[in-house]
This record gives sequence, C-alpha cells and structure tokens, in this order.
Amino acid sequence: MSGETLDGGAFDGGSTAGAPTRVDHLAALPATGPLYAGALARAGRAMVATASVGEGLPDRALRVADVHLDRARLDAYCRLIGETAGEAAPPGFVHVTLFPLQLALMGRADFPLPMLGMVHVANRVEQLRAVRTDDALVATTWARDLVGRPVGSGDRLGTQVELVTEARVGRPDGELVWQGVSTYLAKGVQLPDLALLDRPERPAFSPPVPTGGWTTAKLTSREYATVSGDRNPIHTHALAARAFGFRGTIAHGMDTAARALAALGPLRGEAFTWTAEFAAPVPVPGRVALRLERAEDLDVTAGGVRPGWSMTAWDPRRGALHLRSALALA
Amino acid sequence: MTSAPSYSPTASPTASSAGSARPTPNGTAVVVGGNRIPFAKAGGAYAGASNLDMLTSTIDGLAARFGLAGARLDEVRAGAVLAHSRDFNLAREAVLGSSLDATTPAVTLQRACATSIEAAWDVANKVTLGQIEVGVAAGVDSTSDAPIVVSERLRRVLLRLGRARSVPEKLKLLGQLRPADLAPVAPNVNEPRTHLSMGEHQALTNLQWQVTREAQDAVALASHHHLAQAWQDGLFDDLVTPYRGLTRDAALRPETTAEALAGLRTVFGNDQPNPTMTAGNSTPLSDGAAAVLIASPEWAAQRQLPALARIVDAEAAAVDFVRGEDGLLMGGAFAVPRLLARQGLGLDDIDLVEIHEAFAGVVVATTTAWADEAFAAERLGLPALGTLDPARLNVAGSSLAAGHPFAATGARIVATLATLLARRRAADPEREAPFRGVISVCAAGGQAVAMLLEA
Repeated sequence: MSGETLDGGAFDGGSTAGAPTRVDHLAALPATGPLYAGALARAGRAMVATASVGEGLPDRALRVADVHLDRARLDAYCRLIGETAGEAAPPGFVHVTLFPLQLALMGRADFPLPMLGMVHVANRVEQLRAVRTDDALVATTWARDLVGRPVGSGDRLGTQVELVTEARVGRPDGELVWQGVSTYLAKGVQLPDLALLDRPERPAFSPPVPTGGWTTAKLTSREYATVSGDRNPIHTHALAARAFGFRGTIAHGMDTAARALAALGPLRGEAFTWTAEFAAPVPVPGRVALRLERAEDLDVTAGGVRPGWSMTAWDPRRGALHLRSALALA
Repeated sequence: MTSAPSYSPTASPTASSAGSARPTPNGTAVVVGGNRIPFAKAGGAYAGASNLDMLTSTIDGLAARFGLAGARLDEVRAGAVLAHSRDFNLAREAVLGSSLDATTPAVTLQRACATSIEAAWDVANKVTLGQIEVGVAAGVDSTSDAPIVVSERLRRVLLRLGRARSVPEKLKLLGQLRPADLAPVAPNVNEPRTHLSMGEHQALTNLQWQVTREAQDAVALASHHHLAQAWQDGLFDDLVTPYRGLTRDAALRPETTAEALAGLRTVFGNDQPNPTMTAGNSTPLSDGAAAVLIASPEWAAQRQLPALARIVDAEAAAVDFVRGEDGLLMGGAFAVPRLLARQGLGLDDIDLVEIHEAFAGVVVATTTAWADEAFAAERLGLPALGTLDPARLNVAGSSLAAGHPFAATGARIVATLATLLARRRAADPEREAPFRGVISVCAAGGQAVAMLLEA
C-alpha cells in the first residue's frame, strides 16, 4: 500500500478539515465477515485484559477505486427496503456498499475505539446526484472529530467519532456524487485529552399520528445483514445483543432509516441532504410506527433552511422514539 | 393455383346485431338488471367455491334471469382482487363455463374494491359510444379460497433452480434455503407502501375527522336494519339467486342493537388512546360475486327487458395517503363533489346516496368532509356539498350488513341502486325531475369511484 495525500475539495464547507494526510489504497472492498471475526476476537481479548486502546485517530484514509454497485444486491436491497429497483441506487444502498471501508478503518489496530459495541447514533448523507449501476466509483473513508460526550442521563461518559465516506466518479478528484458521515458512540470508553461535548438535548417525545409503519422480524434482520454486509451480531443473535447491553436483537439503524426514506418515494428527487438521528434501538421482533410530514424549514446545513420532509419513527406500543430523520431537497 | 376457401357461413345465434354495424353513439347506457349470490362469511357456505365457480354461477343466474342462455353478448368485464395466477383470464373462463354463447368476448380487470363499478363504467361507456350494445360488469372475491404463495426467498430460489444447469449449482441454491423459507405465505391486503391494514388506516382517518364510536355504531345499526327490511320487502327477489344453500347474506344480523354493537371490543386503532373500531362497525371478510347487465335502451326494448336506470356519469379520485395527506379511503370526498359539480347538481338533487361501508368510519368521515366548508374550499376548490339527509343514505343497507367480497361490491351497489331508483320512478311516474342516485366506492391504494344513475 502506498500512502498519498488526501485531496480536499469536498463540498461540505471543507469536510476534509481534520482529515488524514495519508491515503492507503485497497485493491477492493474488503469482505465484512473476517473484519467482524477479527473484531470479535479483539472484543474477547478485551474482556479478559485491560483494553489497550490507542490515542487519537489513525492518520490514514482508506481508498478503493473502480467500485461498481452490484445489480443483484441492489435488487435484493430494494425489495427488502421497499424501494423501486431501478438504475439509480437509494442513498442507503451506497452506504451499505461502501460500509466495508468503514469497518476496515475501525478494524485497524491503531483505531482508538472498539468496533463492536459501538452505537450508530447519527447519519448524514449529502447526495449530489443518484449513484447508478454504471458508475465507476472511487470511495474514500476517514475518521474525524474524536470527542467525549455524556451518555444517557447519568454521569457516564463515552467517546464519539465520525466516519466520513465520499464517493467520486471515475477518479480520486472526479465528480463528487455522494458523501456520508456516520456518527458512532463507544459507551463507557474514555480517552485522555478529548474535548467534551455538551449533553445532547433530548426534547420530550409524544407520538404523533402515524402515516404508516412496518413490523420487524428476525428473518428480515438476517436478510438485511446479508444484503448490507453489516453482520454485527447484535442484529441477528440475541445472546450477542444481550452481551452488549440490549434486551434482545435490535434492527440495523440504517435499515430503519432507509425504510422511512423509502416511504417518501420519488418525492426525494436526486439531490438532497438526508439526516438520521437514532434514539431508542428498534427491538426485533416488533412494530414500528412512522410519520412522514412535509417541512418547509429543515435546518440540516449550516446557514439556511430548506424545504423537504421529516420522517419520525417510534414504537407504537411503548411510545419510545426510534428515529428522527429529514430529507432536505437540494 | 387457386382454390376458393370452402367454408360456408352458418347462421349462429346472436343476441346483438352483427358486429360489422357502424357504431352510432346514442349517448345512453341503462342498467337492465343485476344478479348476485348471497354473500357468505369467510370460511362459511362458500369455503369450497373458487372465484371462477362463484363468478360462473352468478353470470349463469344473470343469464337465467334475463333469458340470455345461448346468447352472444358484446362483452363480459369482470375481476377479482385476491386473484390466483391461474385465473389470469378469469372473465373469459367464466364465460366459457357459463350458459352464454362461447363467442362472448371477455375482459379481466382489477381496481381493488372498485373493480366491478369500474367494469360497469367501462361497459356503459362502450354502450354510450355505440361500440357495443350490451355487456355484463361483474366482480367476485373469495377470502376462503385465497391464494397461498411460497415465501419470497423460496420463490426466488425455485426460479433460479429452474435456470441452473449443473447439479452442484442446483445443490448450492437449495443449500441457501432455511426451514423458515418453506412456510407458506397467506395473502394480506395491507397497503404495500405503509404496511398498514385498511382497518389501521381507517383508524387514523377516524382520528383526523374526529369520528366517534357512536357515529360508527349508528351507521352499522342502520345498515343491518335497512338490509333486513329490504330482504323482508322482497327487494332482493329480483337481484339475488341462492347458492350452496345460502339464501340470504350471512353477515346480516337483523336483531342487532345499539347495545350489542357498543359492547364489542375494538379491533383496529388499539394503539390510540380511545380506539373506536370493532368487528361490528367494520366489514367482515366475505365470499361472493355480483353482476350487472348494462345495455342500450334499444337492446333492452327489443328483448322486452327493463331499463331500470341510466348510467349518467362517473368520476374516479385518488388520494396521497402514503404521505398522510388524506385518509386511505377518503377518495369519495373528492370523487363525488367533482362528479356532481360537473353535472351541475347539488346534494339536494340526489334522492339516494350509496356509500360503500368498507368501515362505518368511511361513511361518517366522507359525509363529514362533504359538509366541511374549509375542506371544500381548500382541497376541492368547490362549494361544500352540505349535510346529507341520513334518510337518503344506504336505504337498503350496505357492506357492513351484506358483507364485502371486494370486487363484487360495486356491481352489487349498481344493481341495487338502479332497482331502487326504478321503483321510485314507478311509484311516482309523474315527477318531472329524474330520480337520481349517486354511488361512492372506496378502494385500496387511496382510490375511489363515484357514479351517477338516474331513473
């Protein structure tokens, strides 16, 4: 692998700020199974030995070129999520296609947080145009913004990190079409010398009138794990989920967010900002209620509000909020 | 080498004129009559009958009623909502199994619960244009004999298995199957985009329009009492042929009371603080079929058959329930006002109103919307229709009491309303204004079809 300097030019007000100076090229997207196996082994060792996490983020971005969306997998994803399987991929499919890059980065020995047990707390996608099956993508992932933050309502602390993934067409400096920012939280992990975020605001949630919803099922979670490559065992194995502090298996956050977006259908257009904040995990099996609502003043970007749609998902039995999501039209 | 074709045209019995006659639009299509079988409850008297069985019997009953055995009609147009893939040509197969002449053409169509009212609209249009003289519009549905399919994974593996060439390839495919994939999948009529059942959707609409339990139960009570009275008065002697031992609609409870309805537990909207929907104010799953005969007045006169009512006009509507803009079954709040506005009519000009009771809440919410000035101004751009006199509504009962075999309901209502209007006309032949009736049938996918009849 040869390192090279990460070129800037991202559109999001300089999202390469704090980005690594060196880029490692991978020959292809790695398989996710071995990455999880390695992470499981490390998690097992960590349970018997004091965790020896590094400090700071790796000064590396990972890049893979000539990535093509897989037609058969796209079909399976669309059928599962409730999207029309066409030439243009839903933004969540670009996320799952490029997700192995995130795993590869988080699976590195010098990554300071344990890959398993991290919670996906938020996701943001800027899509400039739809990614199509005939696009040859150059995808790059890096980590940024390692910060401490309070967890829950008590005085526990955790560490949060953002993983940025961008997809360009053709060349490393080609047309930027898609950029994702996934925010993960490692509960109970504290690293020295980190800035500490304020406690996130948690406005009280009272369930609105739903416009739709869906049921979650183990079979569906297994299918999402297969089609997304996100084989984190908390989604498919109750024992694993309990080991990481959940009451039982929970749905993939990006599965929930993608279903909510699918309900919106073609109104999202090709270019947009799609945000998702994940609240209480979605139990499997269970039911999810959804409300889609038109919004004129979505505040998803610094400097100005945009029209679009808000998507809220919750547990219709307990009234617990699962997801606040927004789709701001470009 | 020349040899003349040696076929000799033989005279074949045809009910209608020669097909080569030039179409002469005369602008009129009339309902000659209808026939249906009593509607059964799911798993009841028709549990062993298929859609094709019931549709064929219903068409045979219609043919018997109007002396059409052996006759070639210009079209039979029919469909089912829960359709088996083997029934891809359901209407034509029913014709071939019926007493109609085998040269009667047929079309299979589907517009969810508005299937047979759509069929009636289509047939009426063709008659009006002079392209055909007579046709049958029909619908059938069985929830007892519904298609069961294999799981999506098994289906895909089986399809790929059929294309696989080598044994290892086939074994690899079979190895992908899990025990859970082998379980059969029963049909559901949940909305594919919201994953909510119709009942859950109506519960949301009831919230939006503040429909009370009392108002819904009152609709249900009236439906049972009106239908029971209509059976007692012999209205259905002209409209229903007994089938498989059933002589009356199985869901009908003539003795039901407001207290009995009020005592039922709620079945939909139970996530809401005050659920209101019960098995009493929701239609039961049903089996049944209905058909209506539509023709030009000349065709009816030639055969000395009645012209019960003219099909004047129809209008379809669809709402965006997916994003919660309107309730799933609220299409009638748009279709009926638009239809009446086009015809220059108000609610006072309508003698009888038939609103398909998918749920009692549909009737309450739709009539509430008709009277809502703000809704009319903002959503329709029309004046509000005003408040409907309950004495004009579903006077011979509707789906809550009769049952609702999805695709059959439209034809049931068209035939019933035409008969009711014809009786009013017969009782008051001197009235100058026509007796008018309007129908609203809501359907899955946020659709509705409205139709105007007059006698």
